[in-house]
Amino acid sequence: MGSVSLDFAEFYRSVRDECLRAVLATVGDQDMAQELVDEAFARACASWRKVSKHPAPAAWVVRTALNENISRWRRHRREVAVPDPGRLADLPSTAGATGSAVDPRIMAALLRLPARQRQVVALRVFLDLDTDRTAEVLGVAPSTVKAHLARAIGTLRDDLVPITEQENQS
Amino acid sequence: MNDDELMTAVRESFTGVRSATAMERIVSRSRAVRAHRRVAAASAVGIGGAAAAAVAVSVALPGSHPVASYPPASHPPASPPSGVPGVRLAAWTITRQADGSIQVTFREATHAAALQGALRADGVPVSVTFTGQQNPACRPYGASGSPAFWPFGPKAGPLGGYTFTHPKDAYNTPYALVIHPAALPSGAGLQIWTSGTPGAADNFQLYVGLVHASPQCTGS
Repeated sequence: MGSVSLDFAEFYRSVRDECLRAVLATVGDQDMAQELVDEAFARACASWRKVSKHPAPAAWVVRTALNENISRWRRHRREVAVPDPGRLADLPSTAGATGSAVDPRIMAALLRLPARQRQVVALRVFLDLDTDRTAEVLGVAPSTVKAHLARAIGTLRDDLVPITEQENQS
Repeated sequence: MNDDELMTAVRESFTGVRSATAMERIVSRSRAVRAHRRVAAASAVGIGGAAAAAVAVSVALPGSHPVASYPPASHPPASPPSGVPGVRLAAWTITRQADGSIQVTFREATHAAALQGALRADGVPVSVTFTGQQNPACRPYGASGSPAFWPFGPKAGPLGGYTFTHPKDAYNTPYALVIHPAALPSGAGLQIWTSGTPGAADNFQLYVGLVHASPQCTGS
């Protein structure tokens, strides 16, 4: 690895999976999520002196990856294709169209959320950021984060709880 | 199931997701990013503080040599010897080619208005924004409105013929764009924009696309 600091290497090893999960939960496609996260980590590595002073470097990586996803969307001038949640939900949990190991019913429920709610869930759940830090990363007010999270949880509960109850009964 | 249990269920469903990218690959890509930053910094130092701070465009006389020894020797020349130096800033250089094409070599995504003005003066209907946003007045041209771009896109943009081409590898610096004004379809212009940090030397990506020419977008 040459001159790469041990600090960055340790950072990469410790948070790469969490960052990938957060981005995957937002974009819905594992290959795309991997590409976006890799590029974001490369930029973090290139600017590590600056990024390491960020209060939440992992959030910086996720934010950079999501920004890149938005850039791709603008580049193509059309919606970035995400898997159809309805189709995903019907797939067996071992082989999602997303190419990921995630239960497709949970992925489908996440993809039914509006993009901003997905981002809030991703940052809160996978990076364990608090409300203020999530708000800072997304550039919105803390109250907006709380509202998005409450709506997201409500929607996820409506989608997922009946499934888990069915599973418990059978 | 309370909120915490729900979030835990979501979190646990992702535990099988693991990054498959080796550290070496990240480091390799980061070197390209760092190289870009070093080159841009060297350019700013070589040309001097006055040029770095200047918004004014300096026009080189035909036949004169480039202002600074740029790009460095490790890179191939940004323009062929037949090119006529046009406009040069620390951030970018415009070179007119003998075949009528115009090469723009980018080192930093700054001085967008000056670049736009210089290209329009050379007869290119163009919109240039380095704000991280596209000009909202611009509309994609034709059915193939999907722009060519890099570093992830094709090296040549076959939209409307070879309206613009990319003579370098995707991750090489500096970025170079060759515009072929004669190949522009009737009623079309170009839009050049960046994503990433506005004005950053080491964290921007450059995009080019065909748009409908209009006074609000391309100036004519």
